[in-house]
Amino acid sequence: MTQLLEAFQIALNMIISGDPVVFSIAFRTLMISLTATLVSAFIFIPVACLIHFNQFRGKKFLVSIIQTLFSVPTVLVGMLVFLFISRAGPLGNLGMLFTPGAIVLGEVLLIAPIITGLTISALSGMGREIPDTALSLGAGQLQMVLKVLSESRYMVLTAVLMGFGRAVSEIGVAIIVGGNISGYTRTLTTAIALGVGQGEIAASIALGIILLSLAMIVSLTVSTLQHSVKR
Amino acid sequence: MILELENISQAKNGHQILSDVNLSVSRGAFFVLMGPTGCGKTSLLRIAGLLDKPSSGRVMCFDRLIPLRGKERLQARRRMVTLLQRPVLFRGSVFSNVEWGLRIRGIPLNEINTKVLRVLELVDLEGYGDRDSGTLSGGELQRVALARALVIEPSVLILDEPTTSLDPNLRFDLLRRLRDLHSKTGITFIMATHDFTDALSIGTTGAVMRNGRIEQTGTIDEIFYSPKTPFMASFVGMRNVFPAEFREDGAVAGGHLVRHTSDKRGHGFLAIPPEAIVVSRKTTVTSERNHFIGTIESVERTGSIFSISVSCGNLIMISSITRSALTELDLTEGQEVCISFKASAVHVF
Amino acid sequence: MLKNILSRILIVVVLFAACGGQSSREDAEKELVEDVHTDSIPPLPGAIRLRVATTTSLYDTGLWGYLEPMFEEEYGVELDVLYAGTGKALEWGRRGDVDVITVHSRAREEQFVEEGYGLERVPFAYNYFLVVGSPDDPAHLEGMAPEDAFRTLMQNGEGLFVSRGDDSGTHGKEKAIWTAAGYDYEDVRTSGDWYIEGGSGMGPTLVMADEMGAYTLTDMGTFIAYQGDLELEPLVDKGDMLLNVYSVIEITSARNPEMAANLREFLTSETVQELIGNYGVGEYGIQLFTPCAGEDMQDI
Repeated sequence: MTQLLEAFQIALNMIISGDPVVFSIAFRTLMISLTATLVSAFIFIPVACLIHFNQFRGKKFLVSIIQTLFSVPTVLVGMLVFLFISRAGPLGNLGMLFTPGAIVLGEVLLIAPIITGLTISALSGMGREIPDTALSLGAGQLQMVLKVLSESRYMVLTAVLMGFGRAVSEIGVAIIVGGNISGYTRTLTTAIALGVGQGEIAASIALGIILLSLAMIVSLTVSTLQHSVKR
Repeated sequence: MILELENISQAKNGHQILSDVNLSVSRGAFFVLMGPTGCGKTSLLRIAGLLDKPSSGRVMCFDRLIPLRGKERLQARRRMVTLLQRPVLFRGSVFSNVEWGLRIRGIPLNEINTKVLRVLELVDLEGYGDRDSGTLSGGELQRVALARALVIEPSVLILDEPTTSLDPNLRFDLLRRLRDLHSKTGITFIMATHDFTDALSIGTTGAVMRNGRIEQTGTIDEIFYSPKTPFMASFVGMRNVFPAEFREDGAVAGGHLVRHTSDKRGHGFLAIPPEAIVVSRKTTVTSERNHFIGTIESVERTGSIFSISVSCGNLIMISSITRSALTELDLTEGQEVCISFKASAVHVF
Repeated sequence: MLKNILSRILIVVVLFAACGGQSSREDAEKELVEDVHTDSIPPLPGAIRLRVATTTSLYDTGLWGYLEPMFEEEYGVELDVLYAGTGKALEWGRRGDVDVITVHSRAREEQFVEEGYGLERVPFAYNYFLVVGSPDDPAHLEGMAPEDAFRTLMQNGEGLFVSRGDDSGTHGKEKAIWTAAGYDYEDVRTSGDWYIEGGSGMGPTLVMADEMGAYTLTDMGTFIAYQGDLELEPLVDKGDMLLNVYSVIEITSARNPEMAANLREFLTSETVQELIGNYGVGEYGIQLFTPCAGEDMQDI
């Protein structure tokens, strides 16, 4: 117990004194997850709109598949991405494996179902009234979609934040396609996994505290947003 | 004709919502679409407002056939506005709500400003521009929605049951506004309602729907004073409606010969307005009147008027008489009386 | 209130995005898990990256963390060190995902080279494997030959054994000892709860064995590097079976063959060989690796 407290003490000192190793890992993690989240949002919010505003066979089935994939195992995504971008794989010549780009790619796919699914929920939450109102006032299809997105913006932002939360805290993708290369693809989660295995408890705790803080900021923002939607 | 619907049918999830609807609305009309709740009014308005596409049939607006998609459809849609049954406002200020229709049309900002202020004044909401749309009362919300529609200066304004969610005062106020707007602006109004008193107070032409079909269409007077079917007759409040066979010598209804002034032959219906039926204790035969002997079944008070049901063989006729007439005649249940009405009072269809 | 929060979040995001472009790659942080404090080296613009996959024992001892900056400085290249068991390192090599591997499983290395995936197996250091266990040594393995120790474990059922169980070089060596002791490995693996498959790198396996008071087979380098935090003691350390040779192999399909060759030359160069020989001596008072480049290791 004293050992743990001691480690905790050192961890806090590392954070307070701005330990360069700890913070460079935290910063890199943030950059990778933010990039992944933004890219995923830019691709999959429009995809969600396409799905929501079009009627087609199997739409309900597709939406339920997407919801099932909310909790797709991260290692599964990691493995699939590995097989695709490994040099022996179909996208091997891109040379993406074991780069931060590979983690971004994997996380984009990992959180795609969350962003797509929750955006669809957000749009559905607007009912028929908002799109109908927009159309009846003379909106073109695109103007209508943009208006509905803007009306549901808090919920859509929630979707994006949930995606970020998952990206920042996942390890499967980061370790399999990132390779936990020091100074290059090492993220908070992979560094913690390695650190604990190697008995670097204090540094791991410091990284853990940062990770937890990020997760808490996300969930606090989400609950604030949801609260404000109910008004 | 500003709007013509030809052979419109609409089916959703295997349900036939509209069947073979034909309708035309002339420029400048205040057209009232009537019918009970669930008869397809909203679906028809959505097709007319180019929000939905019919399963089959043609929609003509502004003397042009409107395609199912494309620029031409959008352009036509931009010349009309539909005010939905329960209007919703967008997040943000009243001003931002009202200006939206102009913004998406690419109107220059300075013009937008003048137009929005003018239309807010028109609906008596001067100074409401900065109010948050979430803080408005029901009547204010309705007026903002109206302003948001009017600011576009549409050729056609479609309203889906605008009065349903309003209390009687607000409803009266809204109807007055709509009537004023109609006479001032020259906009063609198309309004759905399940309450025909709305129609009577502001409509010029209209149609009555039932189970996804048009039951009757024409001027408001035609609809209310010349119903063409028993449904229409009861919809506009007619009573004493009977099926009849029309012959040379008159109509036979329930075994009685009824004289009338129409030249109709074959099967049909006749209706006798209750206020046209005179109840008396004695028979006074005149050639132009129909006479029947019957027994009083019941005497009911409906407002300041009394309804007397008289059973004449197979027919039960209802007559409305005033309280003074009732006392004077001293009518009670089970009494035998004579009822009479003019041949010209009989409505034949 | 809400708008406030949102705008603050936005500002933070924008700030990160703004400074991210330039600095995200400049912060090659020092190895988290070791005490090496060389200055971090910013990558040269357009620097070529070279990937080496290494067995976990060379990683967990901190040897790679020690050598990496030297190589990067000397050749102006970013060296990406990926740690994995020998099996995984070989698989990465087969798929062409790494340029060089440093592993320790002679038979499999020779097969790998024979199949054409690697250019040549070049041994550059060796040490010994150890059977370690808790000081009370419940199965009394101390001083035994490795085969005998394993036989005792299997037969009298006293004491737990944690296996790497990850297809690594150490795991391969363990299997070889079981075979030498006269067992079929599959039988051992499935013989009971005493045999635990950890599925982790060498360091974590040691931590696990220590927690459970179990025996395990470890390479000497990792054990010494971890010894300070562990109660485990070396019990079996004699026998030819226990020789542990590390080799460097350039991958045939390396994206950067010249640089891969540079790494092989670097590891076998006189200077670096000396550094390897002295690595950890100051800290642990004992040699972790014996350099052996150029020596004839065929017999052992």
